[in-house]
Amino acid sequence: MVDQPNTPSGDNAPPQISVRGLDFYYGTNKALKNINLDFGEKRVTALIGPSGCGKSTLLRVINRMYSLYPDQRATGEVLMDGQNLIDESVDPTDLRARIGMVFQKPTPFPMSIHENISFGVKLHEKLNKSEMDARVEWSLRKAAIWDEVKDRLNTSALGLSGGQQQRLCIARTIAVRPQVLLFDEPTSALDPISTAKVEELIAELRAEFTIAIVTHSMQQAARCSDQTAFLYLGEVVEVGSTSQVFTAPKEQRTKDYVTGRFG
Amino acid sequence: MTVVTSAIAKRRKLKSRFVAGMCIGAAVIALAVLFSILWTLVSRGLPALSLRLFTTSTLPTGENGGLANAIVGSLIQVGIGMAIAMPIGVMAGTYLAEYALKSRLGAVTRFVSDILLSAPSILVGLFVYQLMVATTKTYSALAGSVALAVIAIPIIIRTTEDMLGLVPIALREAAAALGAPKWKVTTLIAWRAAGAGMLTGLLLALARIAGETAPLLFTSLGNLNWSTSLSEPMASLPLTIYQFAASPYEDLVALAWAGALLITVGVLAINIIAQAVVGRRR
Repeated sequence: MVDQPNTPSGDNAPPQISVRGLDFYYGTNKALKNINLDFGEKRVTALIGPSGCGKSTLLRVINRMYSLYPDQRATGEVLMDGQNLIDESVDPTDLRARIGMVFQKPTPFPMSIHENISFGVKLHEKLNKSEMDARVEWSLRKAAIWDEVKDRLNTSALGLSGGQQQRLCIARTIAVRPQVLLFDEPTSALDPISTAKVEELIAELRAEFTIAIVTHSMQQAARCSDQTAFLYLGEVVEVGSTSQVFTAPKEQRTKDYVTGRFG
Repeated sequence: MTVVTSAIAKRRKLKSRFVAGMCIGAAVIALAVLFSILWTLVSRGLPALSLRLFTTSTLPTGENGGLANAIVGSLIQVGIGMAIAMPIGVMAGTYLAEYALKSRLGAVTRFVSDILLSAPSILVGLFVYQLMVATTKTYSALAGSVALAVIAIPIIIRTTEDMLGLVPIALREAAAALGAPKWKVTTLIAWRAAGAGMLTGLLLALARIAGETAPLLFTSLGNLNWSTSLSEPMASLPLTIYQFAASPYEDLVALAWAGALLITVGVLAINIIAQAVVGRRR
């Protein structure tokens, strides 16, 4: 592998998203400091680090989730397709069609399984009924939950188990056909079997989507990702290929964290 | 190793029984009062119930009158009152819950609405009298409806805001993350998630204004004849009860009891529907 000292990425895939000189503030509290990080196209980037290090915050900057709250602000660049996503001129609703997000806890909407999927699609596209049905099936198959729900698409999504709800949320996100998927601790509320299913799913989705995953589980990062970034106190301490970060970390702090000495 | 001696254990048990006994006693007293009210209502109202109540308007004593004008009058005024209060209350409550969490206008609105919530209803009647009756020089059903709406609005604002407040932020963020603009997050997700609770609030407001008398005293005034004109005085069940219950004629007093029973059964039905709606959605 060719070493590329100028791109802060452990991988030579072309970056889909490049974060440059990003600072982030909750009110006056600076939560991210001069972040530089590339998310390789169709690669899985894991963000690890102790609680409060800013990894979830970084995800919420990428899809402009923070802009829902007036006291949060970001400066710097989050580049995608030559556009700075955090610039005021970029419409956050369009941006979120390109960058989907799956949250820590499953958040099914109080409506049927079918409506849960079609809700997001309807925001961006006008499909007739058969096209919509096809899209719903496509996304549920992609999220490996079709066989479990195909006979009850019109029943409430609230009746699904936690693991099924989370895969439904993934299907719902995929259905909008984004290029990038952001996972914010997607398995922390799930049992081990559901966790394994979601991890398998992430491995499959990697073929079509650029993925960023925030996780507290070192094993999960090691299993799922191509590239790992270790964040600490709002800074990227180290970024590199996942195997390098876990087996031969360059920074002492990274080593301490991945070997479980703190965090 | 046990440090609790049997004497202490015994004392604790006694205290526990004493507190439980007090609670049960208080519950029994409250229920006894409630049941005695219901019993009086049923035992005096039921014999006066007949089909005639629904087909004949109020008539002078001895002429076998009914309550048709009062029933229809109540339905019209409560209906119009809710039609006015519902959009204002729901939108204002939504504003407070979704848009004005930290704004000054929101804080002022919330404060004023809460004051209005506990304002004596006779004051609301006087206010609407000044606003609509004194200016038009006539009592009218419309003025009565507006007075009922003023009572209902703060109730709806409060329940709407409270119910929307129970919708998890995560649900709103999930919708926003799919690219939904704020107004769609509010109307398609938050309203839907809070729908059963909001509907319950509407039904409670409906039940509340259906039994209101004071705001109608100086607004729709009451009417002993059949009238469905909004610009004229109109009868209503609470006003008719108020007028007849104090009359010296037994047949009119019986009508008042029948009217009271009708309102109570109506309000009870609304409450049961509200419970059923919430139960079905859960």
